[in-house]
Amino acid sequence: MIPLLGLVAGIIVGLVLAPSVPQPLEPYLPIAIVAAMDAIFGGLRAYLEGNFSDRVFVVSFVSNVLIAALIVFIGDQIGVGSQLSTAVVVVLGIRIFTNAAAIRRALFHA
Amino acid sequence: MPEPDGRARPDRSMDLLNDIIRQPVDPDYAVVAARGGARRPRGRWDLALVAVVIGALFTVAAVETTRSAPALETERAELITRIRQAEAQQDAQRAQIATLDDELARLRTAALGDDTEAKELTAELTALEPATGATAVKGPGLSIIVDDAPADSADSRDQVLDIDLQILVNGLWESGAEAVAINGHRLSNLTAIRGAGDAITVDYRSLTRPYQIQAIGDPRTLPARWVESSGGAWWNELAQNRRMRYEVTSVDEMTLEADPGMTLRYARVQR
Repeated sequence: MIPLLGLVAGIIVGLVLAPSVPQPLEPYLPIAIVAAMDAIFGGLRAYLEGNFSDRVFVVSFVSNVLIAALIVFIGDQIGVGSQLSTAVVVVLGIRIFTNAAAIRRALFHA
Repeated sequence: MPEPDGRARPDRSMDLLNDIIRQPVDPDYAVVAARGGARRPRGRWDLALVAVVIGALFTVAAVETTRSAPALETERAELITRIRQAEAQQDAQRAQIATLDDELARLRTAALGDDTEAKELTAELTALEPATGATAVKGPGLSIIVDDAPADSADSRDQVLDIDLQILVNGLWESGAEAVAINGHRLSNLTAIRGAGDAITVDYRSLTRPYQIQAIGDPRTLPARWVESSGGAWWNELAQNRRMRYEVTSVDEMTLEADPGMTLRYARVQR
């Protein structure tokens, strides 16, 4: 319940404050979102498999976002930023799809 | 990871993707569960905080994207307007060049006077100007309309290319044309016919399809010589094998404007 309320609160905060992202941070926002989605799907799957732990979820979310941003940042510094963003999106995308498939199996037994 | 019978798996050097697929959940979940299950937390405030952050992330990104979409659209429209303005300005300047050229011709005639030497010079000018494209000319000739193959054509490459127009124009010169224009742009020996992106440009102005080529020349010999020229053969082949539009008509009288791009770049009048 608390996570759902938090999510709604976050959406409202984002809508009401509508902060504009500073220009240098703009490339990291989509990557952070993909990393967040990966953490969410991972957490949801763990929840359905009965071994969810909020500490692990929080840590995995924060580290996912930070590491993804760091990879892209380093890529930007050495001139392969867009390629590394693609790499991050591909790897996390594969994980998201695998987890989504597991969630589907757990929910619908199909 | 060796197989049960001891042999190494053939794809063990490509473990990266396998690992991603086999272990998509953070392994820590299993570790914590094994250590004694998820402790009943003292309150899930860290989780709530992360949820707030996630919600805000999504919203901010979505808002950001929707907000920048109209900006991009405006930018595009602005660029188009600027291109239009530049084109209009170019047209105006070309018109100004034409006016100045007329005035120049008038002043020249006035300055030359009418002694014999002046008459010789004027006669030479009258003979040379039409051939170089410096003055507007009229007369009988050929009008040729060419265009890409129909859209349902088997090969999407069946389009008029810059080289097709170059060969066509060269064929016309070869057949004795005295003045040639493409879509109203008079050609001189300084004219460039080039492909630029999707469009063909004549003197760096892009053409719109269909392409109309007008050529003034001897009405008795020009059509026959055109058919026999390299340009005529080239376009016959294009029309028959690639279904490209190719229509030749004889015209009794047409007017071709002067080429506004005529200018001396390096040559100076000898005094």
